[in-house]
Amino acid sequence: MIMRGSLAIWMRDMQVLRRAIFSELVAVVAYPLTIYLAFGIGMQSYIGAVEGSPYSLFIAPGLITMTAVNAAYNESVWSLWFHRRVQFTVESYRVTPISVSEIIIAKICTGFTHGIIKGCAVGLVIFAITPFRFPMEHLFNYLVFLIPGSALFSCAGVISGTVMDKPETIGKVEAVLVMPLIFMSGLFFPLSSYPADVLPWVRAIPTTALFEGARRALVSGDMSTLHVLQVSVSAVVLFAAAVGIFRRKMAE
Amino acid sequence: MPWAPRAARCTGSSDMPVPAILTRSLTKQYTGLTALNSFDLEVSRGAIFGLLGPNGAGKTTLIRILTTLMRQSTGEAFIDGLDIRTEGRRIRGMIGVVSQENSLDRYLTARENLVLHARLHGMDRKTYNRRIDELLELMGLSARQKDFPDTFSGGMQRRLVVARALLHQPQLLFLDEPTTGLDPQSRRAVWDYIRSLAGSMTIFLTTHYLEEAEQLCDRIAIMDHGRLIALGSTRELKERLSGATVYEIELERDVEQYATLLRSMQCVSDIEVLSSRLQVTLECWECLSEIVTALNGAPVRSITLKERTLEDVFISLTGAGVRE
Repeated sequence: MIMRGSLAIWMRDMQVLRRAIFSELVAVVAYPLTIYLAFGIGMQSYIGAVEGSPYSLFIAPGLITMTAVNAAYNESVWSLWFHRRVQFTVESYRVTPISVSEIIIAKICTGFTHGIIKGCAVGLVIFAITPFRFPMEHLFNYLVFLIPGSALFSCAGVISGTVMDKPETIGKVEAVLVMPLIFMSGLFFPLSSYPADVLPWVRAIPTTALFEGARRALVSGDMSTLHVLQVSVSAVVLFAAAVGIFRRKMAE
Repeated sequence: MPWAPRAARCTGSSDMPVPAILTRSLTKQYTGLTALNSFDLEVSRGAIFGLLGPNGAGKTTLIRILTTLMRQSTGEAFIDGLDIRTEGRRIRGMIGVVSQENSLDRYLTARENLVLHARLHGMDRKTYNRRIDELLELMGLSARQKDFPDTFSGGMQRRLVVARALLHQPQLLFLDEPTTGLDPQSRRAVWDYIRSLAGSMTIFLTTHYLEEAEQLCDRIAIMDHGRLIALGSTRELKERLSGATVYEIELERDVEQYATLLRSMQCVSDIEVLSSRLQVTLECWECLSEIVTALNGAPVRSITLKERTLEDVFISLTGAGVRE
């Protein structure tokens, strides 16, 4: 497959991001930073240590991961919806000699890039202004989770942006599905809080593997192969689904 | 015998020139609706071809199929001899499309919009920069090339879309209602530009403005309910309307009385009273002498032959009722 089209569209998206990078980062950093300050610092003395770590240290990796995957999801879903339904640019791409798959791959890559850039930005800010510290050698292990995690959410965003024609539906899906998946995956509490008979089901969800695996990787350097596989395989499956669904939608 | 597409042309086994567009029994069905019904069309190279039809006639469906945005249900279509089902990428490389919506990227400047399109067509930087400069100059947009399309007037946005469609020097240009929503000056400017392209490429145009089709197109097709119902030059279409001739007779008084008189005559196929005028449709022009005889002594101010317009042809073929 010739990827010229994907590269051209991805470069267009990066050009637009570059223009608005400051306002984008301010907006994207504000939310997790507020949560970190409110819960991590404000509630720390009431909550104490969780699984042997101070509460602020416990939630920091999750907040960085949440920022990355949220950014990946939001960019993909809104960008695709806007280009398809409002600006009709997807149609202008489709009358050029590129394939439908190239368009969707570009959008997935854009969402993924947004996720990585914004996740790193939040990580740097938390690192700079809070006492949260981690050994630098753990960073690589963490990225092993963050990269497929962002890709996973970018693909999910592309699917939502493809199948949903109304913006209010996109908002509802985010509120009912995406945010609960993130919040219930052990972002603010240890998975051991779940009842024993529910826990296997929660662990089977890829977002749980992502948040749990990413936290362990960053805080203690643990690399859970099972978690990595769970996230990576889910990302590959969702990628195939995103391409297939978009192609089918465009053929309608 | 099925039409032999590319191979025949390449091997020289056929002396027939390959048409720019050819469709055979092209049909598109949606659930409970046939948008295109066994549509046959041939557009020769270098022509400016106009497609007319009321709302919902199937014009946009046809353009979407020909530009490979949509698959037909049955039948076949060829662009420059290439089958749209199997040669989509090659076809898209040689066509330019101006869709009904402007589809400009509002987050990119005018020039960046063109650069993106050039990259999607795989043009190299040097070539596309030169071509973009030419087109911006030609469209009168050079001074605004660093501005975003949102700040442009409707006419300027349309010119930018046309520039984008021409960037890669297509052999076939699809214009789907290119002047809808434009003021008369901008519309004239687009017409002038389309005329200037005549002969250098094939132009396939859909429009609601019959004057536009009359001004620009060598050949015109009228379609309705997914079917082709008339095809020819403006003149041919007007001639084919029927052998009927329409005269306008202006009277000083007693209009209704003379209307009744003429209505009773065999050679009068239709009559319409318009204030002090009668619009009389005759079965043939030779009937005029009978009319003049019948009106002997009547207070006639004038008798005028009413020229048929393309709109008359259009309405007579597709009906006067408003479509949803």
